[in-house]
Amino acid sequence: MSKFLGTMLSRLSRLLLPLFLVTPICAHNLLYGQSTPRESEESNLTYHRTVSEVRLVFFATDERNHSVEGLQKDDFAVVDDELVIRHFRSFTRSDLTKLDVIVLVDSSESVLPQFEQETTVVLQLISQLPWNPGDYLSVLSFSGMETHLVCAGNCRSSFIGDRLASVPKGGATPLFDALEIAAKLLIQRRQPDVWPVIILFSDGDDTISKVAFKGAMEKILASEAQLYAIDASGPGQPSNGSETLHRIADDSGGRFAGISEGANTIFKDVIDDLHSARVVTYRLPKSNSEFHSTRILPTHNLKLQFRCRRGYYYHHRSGSAYPEDGP
Amino acid sequence: MKRAGLLIFLWCGLPSLLTAQIGIYQHGTVVRMHMGDCIAAGHGFMMAFGSPSNAMGPEPCPEYTLVSDSVVYVIVGKMSNSLIPLAETIDFRLQKNELAVRVDDAKHEAKFTIKEMIVRSEWERVRRHMDEKVRASEDHEAER
Repeated sequence: MSKFLGTMLSRLSRLLLPLFLVTPICAHNLLYGQSTPRESEESNLTYHRTVSEVRLVFFATDERNHSVEGLQKDDFAVVDDELVIRHFRSFTRSDLTKLDVIVLVDSSESVLPQFEQETTVVLQLISQLPWNPGDYLSVLSFSGMETHLVCAGNCRSSFIGDRLASVPKGGATPLFDALEIAAKLLIQRRQPDVWPVIILFSDGDDTISKVAFKGAMEKILASEAQLYAIDASGPGQPSNGSETLHRIADDSGGRFAGISEGANTIFKDVIDDLHSARVVTYRLPKSNSEFHSTRILPTHNLKLQFRCRRGYYYHHRSGSAYPEDGP
Repeated sequence: MKRAGLLIFLWCGLPSLLTAQIGIYQHGTVVRMHMGDCIAAGHGFMMAFGSPSNAMGPEPCPEYTLVSDSVVYVIVGKMSNSLIPLAETIDFRLQKNELAVRVDDAKHEAKFTIKEMIVRSEWERVRRHMDEKVRASEDHEAER
C-alpha cells in the first residue's frame, strides 16, 4: 500500500513540478501583458521617493589636540537624538569637497578701534586660504541696522581691500540679523558636495537685531555651516559678547579665537580643519522631534575628541532636513 | 627586588586576569545615550524604584541604555565625563548594585549606577509600540 502511495506521489510531483516552475513566469508575463496598452503612458511616469540622509562634518583630535590621521569608521559612533548610530552610508575626508565661505565683518561702533586690524586679518586669511577653482567666497559687513554685501561668490578675484575700507561704519551691532542672512545665503546655494563655512569677526555684542540668538542659531544649524568666531574686541578689553561667540562657534562645530592671536593662529585653525574634516552620512533616525541633537563619541579609545555641530532640524512635512523658508 | 615586582604584578593583575578567565563579563550593546540628571551617590537602583532622582548640580551625567541578552539596563555615569566606549559590543558585570563596564583601551573598569532594569522582551515590546507611534505620526504629517 505504502509502495503504491509512494509511486503515486512521485508521479504527481513529477507532473506538478513543471507547473509550479512555470507559474511565476506566466504571472510575470500576465502582469506585463496587462500593462502593454499603457506602455507609452507609463514611460512618462516619474516615481518619487524621499530618501532622508543626515550629513555631518566633524573633526577628530587626540588627547594632545592633534588631528587624528588614520581615523576609521568603526572608531566612532554618532548619537543622534539619543540613538547610537554605528552603521554609516558613507565616511570620507572632506578636503576634496568645494567650499562656500562667507566672511562676516562687524563694522559697528564698538569695534571701530580694531577695524583696521580686522580688515588686515580678513585680507590675510582670504589670500592664504588654499582655494580651489569651484570655491565660493562672499564678504558681508554689518553695522547700524543693516547687513551690507561687500562682494558675493567671487571675492577672491575682486579688489576686496578697497571695498572693505569703504563699507559703512559705526552705529549699532545687528549681529544676529547678519548671521541669519549669512545662513540663509548658504542655504539658498546649498549643494551636497559643498562645505559651508562662516568666518565671523565681531565682539559678539548684539545691540539691535530683530532676530534673537535662538533664531540665528537655528538658521546656522539649518545651513550646516561651521562657524569660526574671531573675537574682535580690543586687547585687555574682554567683551561681554565673547561668551556668545564661543557658544555660536561650539554649537556649529566651529572654533573660537581672539583677533589678538593674529592672522596666523586663525589661519592655522581654519586650515587644520579644512585638511582634517571628515564627512559621515547615515539614514535619518525615526524621531518625533524636529530638532535632532548630534554628538560623536569614540567606540574604543576614550581619549579621542570629536567636534561637530550640536544638531539639525528635520521638517517632517517637507521631508527635508532644511528649513522651508527661503532667504 | 624581582620577586617583589612579581608579587606586585600578581597582586594587581590577578583579579582582572581571573575575571577574564572565569568569564563573568556579560556582553551588551549601548543603543541610546543622552545627558541627564546625575543620581545621588549610594541610592542608584533603589532610588529608581522610589522617588524621582535628585539632581546633583548643574553638570549633567551621561545616561545609557545597555541591551544584553535578556535584560536591558538604564545606567547613569557618576560624573559628566563618565563615558562608555560606544563599540558594537561591550563587556560588563554587576557589582554591588552597580554596573562595571570594561573600558578596553584604558584597561580598567568604569562603574555606573543602575537606574532601571527591564526584561528585554518587555523593552522590545515598548520600543515596537513607540516605533509604530512615530511611523503613524510621520504618515499623518505626510498626508497633511
